[in-house]
Amino acid sequence: MLSRVADSLYWMSRYMERTDGILRMLRVNHYASQDDREGFTWQQVLKTFSSLDDGGITDMERNGRKVLEYMVVDRDNPSSVLNMVTKARENARSVQDNITKELWQSLNEFYHVVRDERLEYALRVDDPMTVLDSLVRQCMLYYGVADSTMFRGEGLGFMNIGKYLERAIQSSDILNVRFSDLSYDLERPADITYWKYLLLSVSGYALYLKRYRSGFEARNVVDQVLFNVDFPRSVLYSLNQLHRYLGRLKDEQNIDDYNKVDFIIGKVRSKVQYSDVQTVTRVGLHNYLKEINTDFYEIGKTLNSAYFANS
Amino acid sequence: MALSDFFKQYPHDPLVWDEMCAPDNVRAQYQNVYEFLASIPADELNRKEELARRLFMSQGITFTVYSSGEGIEKIFPFDIIPRIITAAEWKHVELGITQRLRALNLFLKDVYHQQYILKDGIVPVDLIYSCPHFLREMQGVDVPYDIYIHIAGIDLIRDTDGTFYVLEDNLRTPSGVSYMIENREITKRIFPDLIPKNHVQPVTQYPNILLKNLMALSPRNVSAPNVVLLTPGIYNSAYFEHTTLARLMGIELVEGRDLVVENHCVYMKTTTGLQQVDVIYRRVDDDFLDPLVFNPESTLGVSGLMSAYRRGNVAIVNAIGNGVADDKAVYVYVPEMIRYYLNEEPILKNVPTLHLAKPDDQQHVMANIHKMVVKKTNESGGYGMLMGHMATDKEIEDYKREILKDPRQFIAQPVINLSSAPCYINGTLQPRRIDLRPFALCGPGGIEIVPGGLTRVALREGSLVVNSSQGGGSKDTWVLAR
Repeated sequence: MLSRVADSLYWMSRYMERTDGILRMLRVNHYASQDDREGFTWQQVLKTFSSLDDGGITDMERNGRKVLEYMVVDRDNPSSVLNMVTKARENARSVQDNITKELWQSLNEFYHVVRDERLEYALRVDDPMTVLDSLVRQCMLYYGVADSTMFRGEGLGFMNIGKYLERAIQSSDILNVRFSDLSYDLERPADITYWKYLLLSVSGYALYLKRYRSGFEARNVVDQVLFNVDFPRSVLYSLNQLHRYLGRLKDEQNIDDYNKVDFIIGKVRSKVQYSDVQTVTRVGLHNYLKEINTDFYEIGKTLNSAYFANS
Repeated sequence: MALSDFFKQYPHDPLVWDEMCAPDNVRAQYQNVYEFLASIPADELNRKEELARRLFMSQGITFTVYSSGEGIEKIFPFDIIPRIITAAEWKHVELGITQRLRALNLFLKDVYHQQYILKDGIVPVDLIYSCPHFLREMQGVDVPYDIYIHIAGIDLIRDTDGTFYVLEDNLRTPSGVSYMIENREITKRIFPDLIPKNHVQPVTQYPNILLKNLMALSPRNVSAPNVVLLTPGIYNSAYFEHTTLARLMGIELVEGRDLVVENHCVYMKTTTGLQQVDVIYRRVDDDFLDPLVFNPESTLGVSGLMSAYRRGNVAIVNAIGNGVADDKAVYVYVPEMIRYYLNEEPILKNVPTLHLAKPDDQQHVMANIHKMVVKKTNESGGYGMLMGHMATDKEIEDYKREILKDPRQFIAQPVINLSSAPCYINGTLQPRRIDLRPFALCGPGGIEIVPGGLTRVALREGSLVVNSSQGGGSKDTWVLAR
């Protein structure tokens, strides 16, 4: 496969995963804001998911509608859903012959949906949940089409690598948003609804109820989002998948580069696999998240030099 | 629209051949379609038009216009009423194009080798050597199977009495074939069952034939040669076509930056290292192919490509330097080429054409310019053209000055009345002028022309210019099996 094509598939997939992550995060924060007696603030969301400066954040943080508009349809916000989807589609457009027609169409339709003026209007005037749900459905459609139509080759491999790397980043970011509100203190009690929303935002609520019987505790939430291998959005699950899909790219012709990537992913994966909530408590959640984020960055860099350097 | 009194509203121009309507009845090949249109409710066609628009949009059959940093998706206008060609008409077109291509291909081989046709004085030497697309770099280069024109899109028009004329030969990188394929797919959706009922010949085999021909050109004797399609990239207006063809043939779509030449062989950069490329179907113009030989500013091509080509280590489709054969001034000599190389009479006629470099012709054109169409010999897409009967005095004066600067670059033709076909416009059927571009494929096994083509429509009332850059659209083109 052409390096340029692999690069585009990888980024298409990362942008879509990020779109999905941002949408879910917005959805749950909007929901939480409707329940808040103290006056909800979007400060952490904007800090983590946008490049606004402090002034910009202060201007916007208490105006939910404005935040949603900014994060979903603002053309000048490089990390808005509209721009994410546009970038995903631009990447897809340049590799149309390497993805199925169905996948291209689902992305292309998403692109037209997100640029539709009616969406902007609905976001301003109607129920934002309905709007966000409709966009999340577009993401699901994309996932379903990718999974059920893409041929099991190198291309899908690079898509999955992009997807799971991005998902690991998203999941650790979402913990960051939530726990920075609590100053990273796992023992500090907070409103139950808070964690409920966090889990809902990553579709982890039902699993939590089944798995952790002791009620809502921060440490359990951290355990699930970081270490639970049955939870498809946990960091460890994502790293396992990442490693698995990399394994399929093993090829004698490129074994040196493959080994480099394999090494770094294996290292990060072991680090996460052999740590638990105690470890996190010892080093502090913030430090732990910062550290694995640096590792993710390193994985991205190594992939780039091993497989995409030619592009 | 009540089609029952269709004939009362559909304007008839006695000087224009209408594809659907003879002076007092509907032509036999359109009978089924006509009856179908008459049988459906008045607003049904609006719904079909909307469905077609949605299909084009959701499938991304669009080109992107970039303005103020943002891309806007546009659809190449599509008229839903098909254009129908009878089996007999097609037979004639097919024979004529095949004959013409055989001669043009022999001409290219000759002009880049022994140049008998110049020495025998059939085609003037100065005409060839003054053509900017005559590439000295191709002199003496042997190409696989002596095939220069692998893909041709020859434009045909019909005069008042329905006779086909060749308007121009596109022998470099003709585009539009994806619309031939996609327009048919859309028609299958908006007029279900109508296609089999009319015994319309399929066009879906085009990519298969093309791939077969491309594979056959591989210089390496391997079972699965690497065939790639070289595109200028996503900003090119024909990018949709490039991706469609690459997908339909299952070949890699590459950009210049994906390729590299090493030791006179072409390689593509893959995730597992360099892989040799055997055949390049390029959609990049000659001038941009190799910055070492042609335009040094080009970033679309590959340095060293020409040296690999000259050594026969890679096949390039279409051949480099074909522009000398579709120059609009060389066009005048194509009937002579047919007689010279094939000893046959041309089946398809040329439009009578005057070359402004000839003093007699120039004098005649200058005196009668308001009755002529004047074109630049090396422009395409309807640019740099003067329609004498529509132009203002000032435009004519300006244009005449242009001509006198370099008469070699201009030809003139009488205004030909392109044939018309019914189009669905603002809720009624109205005649609009059309042309026809069939796509011919030439491989080691001979010339094959897929029964169909691109019918381009001048959507503006009274306009004779069908180019998409000048407000033209397209129609699905049916060739009937019987």
